Amino acid sequence: MIGNVGAVFLFEWKRSLTVPRMAWWLVLAGFPVFIIGLIRFSITAGDVNDAPPRELWIGFLFALVPMLVTMLGTMLWMTPAISAELERRSWVYLTVRPNGGTAVLLGKYLAAVTWVIPPVLLGLTCAVLIISPNAEEAEEIANARRHEPAQPFFINKHGQRQLAPSMAMRDLKPWQIWWAMARMVCLSAPAYAAVYLLLGTIMPRRGMVLAVGYSLLFELIISFVPAVINKLTVHHHLQALMLEWCELEIPPEFMSGAATLIGNSPTWHHIAILMLYPPILLAISVAVLRSSEFSSSAESDV
Amino acid sequence: MIELSNVTKMYGKVIGVNDFTLTLQPGAYGLLGPNGSGKSTLLNLITGQLRPTQGTIRVMGESPRNNASLFRRMGYCPGGEGFYSDVSAYDWVKYLQQLQGMTAADADVAAGRSLELVGMSTAMHRPISSYSRGMRQRTKLAQALAHNPEILILDEPFSGLDPIGRHELTTVLLDWVDLGKSLLFASHVLHEIESLTQSFLLICGGRLLASGTAEDVHAMMVGLPNEIAFKCSDPHRLGELLLRERVVDSLRIVDATVTVATRDPARIYGQLPGWLKTSGIDVTEMHSADESLQALFNSLMKMHRGEL
Repeated sequence: MIGNVGAVFLFEWKRSLTVPRMAWWLVLAGFPVFIIGLIRFSITAGDVNDAPPRELWIGFLFALVPMLVTMLGTMLWMTPAISAELERRSWVYLTVRPNGGTAVLLGKYLAAVTWVIPPVLLGLTCAVLIISPNAEEAEEIANARRHEPAQPFFINKHGQRQLAPSMAMRDLKPWQIWWAMARMVCLSAPAYAAVYLLLGTIMPRRGMVLAVGYSLLFELIISFVPAVINKLTVHHHLQALMLEWCELEIPPEFMSGAATLIGNSPTWHHIAILMLYPPILLAISVAVLRSSEFSSSAESDV
Repeated sequence: MIELSNVTKMYGKVIGVNDFTLTLQPGAYGLLGPNGSGKSTLLNLITGQLRPTQGTIRVMGESPRNNASLFRRMGYCPGGEGFYSDVSAYDWVKYLQQLQGMTAADADVAAGRSLELVGMSTAMHRPISSYSRGMRQRTKLAQALAHNPEILILDEPFSGLDPIGRHELTTVLLDWVDLGKSLLFASHVLHEIESLTQSFLLICGGRLLASGTAEDVHAMMVGLPNEIAFKCSDPHRLGELLLRERVVDSLRIVDATVTVATRDPARIYGQLPGWLKTSGIDVTEMHSADESLQALFNSLMKMHRGEL
């Protein structure tokens, strides 16, 4: 069985080394870099005092890297895992092998996870390099350090009190953010891949519609609903880990709302749940697959 | 080898296979039936792709559904093409053998040997997208043979093959049967099956209509009207000629085509050139195809319904 899964894994990886797939790999890596780069460029080009605070950079990176890009990458690989074989009419050739269907599911799952994580981490690395202070800002930070306790706040053009960019950058700790985001990617990619594989197995013909619906409804809306149901989403657990690993300070006025939304579970609890997602969802996918019928004559689910 | 007991498969309200009961001992069998007769559904049931709505199926004493040990002993060549266009035949067959449980090294050897057996050794490293239909059929057969199964189940494997290809693959399959292995070969063409085995299963409308040897099938066909269509320069004169010679049971003329039903096709085929020469009628097309077989199926269906 392990050999079968390994064969599918290697076969899928080999097939992914084509120009279109590699172009898609680069798109995944480039997307967060492009968005973060645009924001950074707009700051540099505009008023440097409008630099977003550390929390906002973390928010951007979180939304882009372990969430959006990882979701998109795993969704496009995993949801059509079965439907692509059915449309190609190759499914029957795979399933008349010993545990063929199971091997295909697990092999494709491993291929997807290992294929998606590298470009996401590459994009994250580039994005963190972009938000890191440049030479001029580093000098400002050094100056600020020399004049401590200097006034860290100033009144911006809108008349609001704002943390000086040099201070914001000083607190940024880019590689701490990188390490936090990288760990989240390594947890979110396997979890999302397992979710999308299950959706694609339950409903191969309408898998993509189901996956997009799930992402919008559950991961983007229900995950923000302060109820027990939000604990079923991957987003909820990633959010809790982001607060913890990025050492985000929640303003006192938002503390009660955040506690309701995120809960008070310890970090290991969120990690454990995210690590349990893949084996549980993969087991369900295999069970669904083994009970499903696909006709080779029409190659449609009957 | 294969045992079906009152097997019925329903697709919603449509019957795919209808109360099928059958016991096959090891050997070679031809599953003969027109398109849409339920052959592929039956093979899907036997290979465990589908679950019967009613009844039980045993292949080599085991239920075929999700049965890993049975799949190690079974080779299946489905009717549809299911290739990865960017992959070579060699890589594809090797991949499927690895899924069969072979190591990469063993799969290498098995894929090469099997593709050579079906005459694909020179083209096996080219992408499948560059193959002709016949080459694809050969590749499909290679993947079913490569792991040296005990039973081979083939669904229309000669479809799209040229006469030389048919002959070559027939030889491959005959050699394979001579090794004492079992074969179930589905086709809608009588002579394709006849070239491989003398044991037939006749299926139509999801039902097993008859089973027996080639002689049994031919005996059933004796006395059944054979339909022949002629496209000619003067259909009314040809019709008159055939009626005068008393060789047709019925006749109809549509445009330039004369379609006749006859119980004596051999006489028509034997004497038609002479009749055409003396009458000066030009026949540009003549079709019989497998109409006789269809007539047999129609008659057997009527017998099943009690209409004959």
